[in-house]
Amino acid sequence: MVRSCYIHIPFCSHICSYCDFSKMYYHPDWCNRYLTALEKEIEQNYQKEVLETIYIGGGTPSSLSVEELNRLFQILEKLKRSRNCEFTVECNVENITKEKLELFLKKGVNRISIGVQSANPKILDFLERPYRKEEIKRIISLVKEVGFSNINVDLMYAIPGQTLNDLENDLDFFLNLNVPHISTYSLMIENHTKLGNQKVEAIKEELDYEMYQKIHKKLEEFSYEHYEISNFGKIGYFSKHNLTYWKNLKYYGFGLGASGFLSNIRYTNTKQFQNYEQGNFRNFEEKISKKVDMENEIMLGLRTMEGISKIEFIHKFGQKLEDVFPMIQKLVKEKKLLETKENYRIPFSYWYLSNEIIIYFIGEVE
Amino acid sequence: MKKKNIRNFSIIAHIDHGKSTLADRLLEETGALSKRELKEQMLDSMDIERERGITIKLNAVELNYQYQEENYLLHLIDTPGHVDFSYEVSRSLAACEGALLVVDAAQGIEAQTLANLYLALEHDLVIIPVINKIDLPNANPKRVEKELMDTIGFSEEEFILTSAKTGEGIKELLQAIIERIPPPKGCEKDPLQALIFDSFFESYRGVIISTRIVNGSVHVGDKIQMMETNAVYDVTELGVTTPKEEKRECLTAGDVGYIAASIKDIRDVSVGDTITHFKNPCKTPLPGYQPMKSMVFCGLFPIESSKFEDLREALEKLKLNDASLVFEPETSEALGFGFRTGFLGLLHMEIIEERIEREFGIEIIATSPSVVYEIELTDHSVILVDSPSKLPEKQKIYEIREPYIKTSIFTPSEYIGPIMELCQNKRGSYIGMEYIDEKRVNIHYQIPLSEIVYDFFDKLKSYTKGYASFDYEVIGYQPSELVKMDILLNGEVVDALSTIVHKDFAYNRGKAVVENLKNLIPRQMFEVPIQASIGSKIIARTDIKALRKNVLAKCYGGDITRKRKLLEKQKEGKKRMKQIGSVEVPQEAFLAVLKMEE
Repeated sequence: MVRSCYIHIPFCSHICSYCDFSKMYYHPDWCNRYLTALEKEIEQNYQKEVLETIYIGGGTPSSLSVEELNRLFQILEKLKRSRNCEFTVECNVENITKEKLELFLKKGVNRISIGVQSANPKILDFLERPYRKEEIKRIISLVKEVGFSNINVDLMYAIPGQTLNDLENDLDFFLNLNVPHISTYSLMIENHTKLGNQKVEAIKEELDYEMYQKIHKKLEEFSYEHYEISNFGKIGYFSKHNLTYWKNLKYYGFGLGASGFLSNIRYTNTKQFQNYEQGNFRNFEEKISKKVDMENEIMLGLRTMEGISKIEFIHKFGQKLEDVFPMIQKLVKEKKLLETKENYRIPFSYWYLSNEIIIYFIGEVE
Repeated sequence: MKKKNIRNFSIIAHIDHGKSTLADRLLEETGALSKRELKEQMLDSMDIERERGITIKLNAVELNYQYQEENYLLHLIDTPGHVDFSYEVSRSLAACEGALLVVDAAQGIEAQTLANLYLALEHDLVIIPVINKIDLPNANPKRVEKELMDTIGFSEEEFILTSAKTGEGIKELLQAIIERIPPPKGCEKDPLQALIFDSFFESYRGVIISTRIVNGSVHVGDKIQMMETNAVYDVTELGVTTPKEEKRECLTAGDVGYIAASIKDIRDVSVGDTITHFKNPCKTPLPGYQPMKSMVFCGLFPIESSKFEDLREALEKLKLNDASLVFEPETSEALGFGFRTGFLGLLHMEIIEERIEREFGIEIIATSPSVVYEIELTDHSVILVDSPSKLPEKQKIYEIREPYIKTSIFTPSEYIGPIMELCQNKRGSYIGMEYIDEKRVNIHYQIPLSEIVYDFFDKLKSYTKGYASFDYEVIGYQPSELVKMDILLNGEVVDALSTIVHKDFAYNRGKAVVENLKNLIPRQMFEVPIQASIGSKIIARTDIKALRKNVLAKCYGGDITRKRKLLEKQKEGKKRMKQIGSVEVPQEAFLAVLKMEE
């Protein structure tokens, strides 16, 4: 049963140097046409399930005008929501306004995620984020003032030139914002981004690792739970939407370049505006066999603090985890996995090497 | 066909001197193949041969040619040109009465050509000197003629000038083949004596034998016996290669063709053996061949240990037409079950490895090659050791002796300096130098074979821009100050990485090997020390730092497929590695001991 839905808004008023998501410069005409196509996609595919989470991501959803946002929410009215539905909108510091925030609140949005990334002017310039820490403080206060308490801020680290001291300062600043959720991302320099094209070199692996340790230590100290590789939250504020992914559950993905998982199909939409506008939404579909599904369950579950639940695995697949993946015992013996009565998880000391452990499970089921 | 109208001949030439093109031209001229059917270099049938531009296997074709109103049958037996394969050359020469010596009109004679020519002269073959590529702008046939007259003693009238490219001189060449090369001797009435000079395996027909009928005749349905293995079979098919297979009812003295007899056990057929009739056998077998001694040994191990039996089968099938390939089971703590395999040289080794991977689809790890050492123990008994792991303890060794070779390096005189430097660096001692003509010399050095096994060929090529050619003969064993150098990964000796090195070179080599390994072995979840040691003494050390980060941080908007693809790719990379203790080691690492940047 589908309980989650991701909606992609590809427009940005400014393209950041590191971004490799599906994105394009904001233009009113394009935006209008895009919303028309998005409406069509939802109408054609949405099966009227009651949704527990909706996530509007980007791109920069907050780059849309109030009128356009109004139209977007009108389209999204088609989506049935449960009473506790977690409804998130991603916002950027430079284009969020009181008016837009009030609209979000009115339309049922109850979680705001802000791509802050850093408060360090040197880093903001490198990432091409057009604001300073004063604006960040002002916007966070505004978000709270309008009435949101469930707030996430993104923190980026491992940026070329960044020192441990720079990170320490950013962490202090972020903690002072006093929001219940922080997502942290180590900068990945991807091909076809500005940084990738400039052949910018990533920082040393050792420093990256030290930064990760520092973030973990500091945020836990301030009672944020490190509940997933990249995510920290106060109890009660973990992102339900992101946990949909890590629990290998079904979700719609609507919009340019969005991915979804419905019945036994995982799909990714086209990143070509024209194709999307013409109604050729999907670019890639893959039928997920039981074998791949079981492996995905591990691959995703092992990213979390909870790990993989033994009993849920049996309920879902009718087989015992240990029978499907006999190598589990060896990994437990080597202390690469921790076993409790209910679950298996990767010990924190290996989280930053989780791929090394997860690949034991990939392509193993016959 | 009357025997007097049969000619059996082979071609001797250096790589690139146009042997295969010349053979193609002969096929075309005699109408064996139309131009349309002619793939470039028809006789090199293996992919590897075409890709590398070398001939490895023997190939026999039958050509029909009309000359002065008589029909002639010409058997061309193609031969390899590389130093490693002189054994194959001698096999093909044993089936011939004549040989074409093909020399490039621009380059002159090369070291290896000369060596093969001497083989042909030993077999009492008639030699026709052919100066090829006369169409080249820098061709100098007169100079080459003089060179051949001076070094070998041909007379001026004997030379045939050709261009395999344009076809010039091909008719004259065919004429010379018929007039100068004698027809095969032997008598059809005598009991059957047929030489097995090659064989290969086909799943449907079994072993196919390439043979030269020396005496008597053989018919389809005949009961034949292999004189060495005593195996008896009924002939199911006979034929000749033109180069398409053409079935015949019988082959008689002088013929070169193939025999199939539903032979399923490849061990029954031994190259060099004599075939005779079961009921009316000949009295004595043909002389056959002196089997070649393997010069270079290495361990071959399947990456997937379950492929051990497949590897055995692959080696057995390859041995069928390559008697020089020897192997016996070997166990390595690091690599599991495999085979200690002997080769004629490095190229031979490379070719076999490549054929196992390509033709049999088995991924293998080859350990670094070793020569055969003679070890005199303290009780003065002598043992032969072809693998560092078989070297006895130091206290039990009285003396280690290693094989030495004498080089013939043909080179333009401007490269004398660099070549001498190279040879000195390879522990060589100078013997002498001869001028072939005013511009080219033949340099002789005495060098340990083990030094050639490393990167000598590559170095020689780069030092001389490819102008030098190289041949060698083994001149015997000499005592050397040799030691066994071990490599330790994470504190444990990896037997497959041990080598035998000269004492004076050990320190440098050890340093280079650990550095190479550091670059080849990916970071692991823990720090891995790499050490080189002699006995218990560590002579070099470096560490592979622990892997710190291998994680997918981003969520990619729920694009799980992309995440999975990245992980699958990593998994694929891991699969190609061998787990040694707790360290994952890629294939290339086992050859790291070879690559020495000085």
